[in-house]
Amino acid sequence: MTNISSNAVTAEAEGPLVPTDPTPGPKAKAKPAWMNLNFGPRLWVSLGIIVVIALLAFVGPLLYPYGPDEKVGSLYDAPSAAHWLGTENFGYDVVAVLMASTRNSLINGLLAGTLATVIGVGIGVVAGYIGGWLEELLMGITNIVLAIPSIVILILISMSLQSTDIPFFKGIVGLALVIGITSWPWTARAVRAQASSVSTREHIDVAKLSGARTPGILIRDVLPYLASYVVMAWVLQLASAILAESTLSMLGLGPSGTNSLGMQLHWALAFQSVATGAWWAFLPPTIVLTLISFGLLYLQSSLDEVFNPRLRRGKKKNLAAAAKRREEAARKLEEEMKAPAGVTEVIV
Amino acid sequence: MSDPVFGLPSRRSFLTLSGIAVGGLALAACSGGATSTNTAGTGSSATEKKGIGNNGQVGKGRAGATADSLLIAGFQWGAPATFNPLSPTAAWPASGNVMQIVYESLLRWNILTGEIMPGLAKEYKVDGTNSVTLTLQDGITFSDGSPCTAKDVVATYELGKKNKGISISAFWQLADSIEATDDKTVVIKVNQKSKNVGQVLRTVTETYILPAAVFSAIADDKLPTTVIDKPIGTGPFTLSKADQTQVVLAINENYWGKTFYGGLPVMKQIIHPIFKSNEDGNIKFQAGELDIMQQFVSQIWKMWEGGKPVGTFLKSKPYFVPGSMPMLLMNTTKKGLDNAAVRKAIASAIDYASIADTAMSGYSDAVQASLILPTGAEGKFFNKSDAEANGWKYDAAAAEKILTDAGATKGSDGIYTIDGNRLGPYKLITPTGWTDWNAACEIVAKSLKAIGIDCATNFPQQADCTQAIQGGTFDLACWYVSGVNPATPWARFKDIMSQAEMQPIGKTTFANYGRWENAEVEAMLTEAAQATDDAGKKAAYDKLDALYRKEVPSCPLMYRPDEFYEYNASNFFNWPDENNDYAPPMFRGAGNTWMYKIQKIAG
Repeated sequence: MTNISSNAVTAEAEGPLVPTDPTPGPKAKAKPAWMNLNFGPRLWVSLGIIVVIALLAFVGPLLYPYGPDEKVGSLYDAPSAAHWLGTENFGYDVVAVLMASTRNSLINGLLAGTLATVIGVGIGVVAGYIGGWLEELLMGITNIVLAIPSIVILILISMSLQSTDIPFFKGIVGLALVIGITSWPWTARAVRAQASSVSTREHIDVAKLSGARTPGILIRDVLPYLASYVVMAWVLQLASAILAESTLSMLGLGPSGTNSLGMQLHWALAFQSVATGAWWAFLPPTIVLTLISFGLLYLQSSLDEVFNPRLRRGKKKNLAAAAKRREEAARKLEEEMKAPAGVTEVIV
Repeated sequence: MSDPVFGLPSRRSFLTLSGIAVGGLALAACSGGATSTNTAGTGSSATEKKGIGNNGQVGKGRAGATADSLLIAGFQWGAPATFNPLSPTAAWPASGNVMQIVYESLLRWNILTGEIMPGLAKEYKVDGTNSVTLTLQDGITFSDGSPCTAKDVVATYELGKKNKGISISAFWQLADSIEATDDKTVVIKVNQKSKNVGQVLRTVTETYILPAAVFSAIADDKLPTTVIDKPIGTGPFTLSKADQTQVVLAINENYWGKTFYGGLPVMKQIIHPIFKSNEDGNIKFQAGELDIMQQFVSQIWKMWEGGKPVGTFLKSKPYFVPGSMPMLLMNTTKKGLDNAAVRKAIASAIDYASIADTAMSGYSDAVQASLILPTGAEGKFFNKSDAEANGWKYDAAAAEKILTDAGATKGSDGIYTIDGNRLGPYKLITPTGWTDWNAACEIVAKSLKAIGIDCATNFPQQADCTQAIQGGTFDLACWYVSGVNPATPWARFKDIMSQAEMQPIGKTTFANYGRWENAEVEAMLTEAAQATDDAGKKAAYDKLDALYRKEVPSCPLMYRPDEFYEYNASNFFNWPDENNDYAPPMFRGAGNTWMYKIQKIAG
């Protein structure tokens, strides 16, 4: 009984959803839901970019002969066979520093992005599901935080962290925390809207009637319906956090003695690499930063298409084929509905 | 959050980022092209001319409105607020001891020779440690035509008694009195407690002489705050125009010093454009739109390698004459840093060559274990053999050995502990934006971590940094001490080791920031201050330097030019350089000599 009800709700749900077979006959073998997803070429391209960047960050240092703290030359030595991208302002190999910087920037992005998503989803789900004064309060706080320019908060907190004596807050983890706790509001607002919509659906009533407690309902009956959105939000938060770290570090507010893409740009600017023509100092971190951002944005965009078929794009013939498939499915469904022994009778 | 950068990374922000990358590529391409292909450049080879670009190139002269103007930069960074030389925020060229062009001093210091040269005073006589007598030049007048006499000189120094908040007030710790015995003679009675003639002479070389008629009309408490927009001095130029974009000076055709300097300066105007950053100024300088400037330029040799007629005083590295010595200050009240062995280990752990090579763009030799500059005016006091035998140099293994010999043990975290005190975490501070110093600090922090001392950099705003250093609340700091002047190296020993000026933590001091305590040093400082000949001074400095090397209250990180002296021979030639050394590579003091000797290329 519960299964049938759930299927009915799923079929009726608006917004992003996981397509399910509308006619699960007794003999039909249901495929796992992910196999029904349409992974287009855009997804594979974006994943490819991210994998390449991740390999550069995590596997590259194991293979590259120089370390990021190893002085191998002088100020801005030009690229050579030994040092493919020359040296930066401290005389370290640019490729070695780039790999270390990429790794730290990715770690920072993962930490900050995950933290921001967890906070945002937590606040959004609670506010959207429970409603009432708690929703007003949480959304009030969210709106206040949204109204304050984040760059100001980030700069102020980063400056305070720099002068703290607690080592934990001075590293890349500290910076990630700062970024994470300042970038959750837009996720919270969006999740709240989704959660609010889900909370009015029938399966929630059923869960309540069956005696489920609120935390259980939130985890088992609300969050799964937001999963696709949360994944996309998380991807965007990653990109956003990496850009935020780069901005802060480029302003000289990054963690002391740590390599990151922003710190590379900071020193490249401080030592006038553009004016002296040392392109190898500022271009590689700029390109990697662009690729990370591009890759994640592209991934989010393609995931959006996967989870939300209405946004799916393609060539005209694909669109025509999809329309034909939909027509065919609708026709079959109509025929089945007309059949005397329907299998979708709902017993209450 | 609501900010597009930190909110949802939209396609627009992605496009922006891509644009930056492509723009960067384009810039790099342009820049690279300029440095690699423009060998013909703006100039032509001119071997018969002296004081030209380091590549032997010279420009063809400038046409138009600025043909007769000297374009200068590196002194003024914001809209000029006042030209009152008593104000701490005075604009160029009224700000203290920057250039002798509107205001002038009695004597002029030469950083190359260590000589004190005539200025408004044609001669000076020192009577042991009792007095200094100065005789003024003939016919000195202010730019308003009024005569400048010994009474103006006395009135200028007397201002320091009227208001303790102006820099001249420090003169009265060095002198008991100043008297005008006639219109042209001034006698300074040296303070008989300190008997520090060197510091008196330093003050005389750095103090502008002001018109008594103007400054006597200002209330004592308003002396530093009164806004002056029409400065009246004795110099060869007067203020013509000042706004947020430039300061323009016009020549004073009635300048009193025409005879003394052999004529008027060659330029009719001096224009100081006001830039927002070093970058802007450097681009204009490279293009020949500035003739001379005082700015840090990373890899300046790229300019003459790219065909620009750019020159420096020295033709090979370090290109600039060393004139100051940024120090690593160590707070000896902090656990661990109170141990001389730890301080010596720190001094031995620092990769000085790397600092000179990268942070200082090659503009510094590797430093010696001494508070005396080994070259230039102080070179005669430098004891090289003792510095090498009892000093330190970069040797990480030796640094660790010093620690272990002193009983330090390494913990599981790789950091040493000595007498129960873990060595760190220490915070190494210097003001944010001081690029070369910031980079030097990063190298120091890495060097210390490498031998097991926990250290991280922190770059606060300048005001916060100054407060922490003067108040003694820092751990480690990169900071400046006296550059080369008539009172150094004594003044530098005083800056680092003075017991008389030491203050408890939390109280502001202007010397011995590290609160290093020693019972013997004050007598040694007095002996050095009162020595009247070079032999006596050398003996006193040897003793001070030996104590310094034993105790290591701080250590020098690099040698830096007192001023960055860089010229572009696009419009003028005969700039002073090591092959044409008629004047020192200075803007202040005796640096004014080149204004009378440079020549226009065209016309």
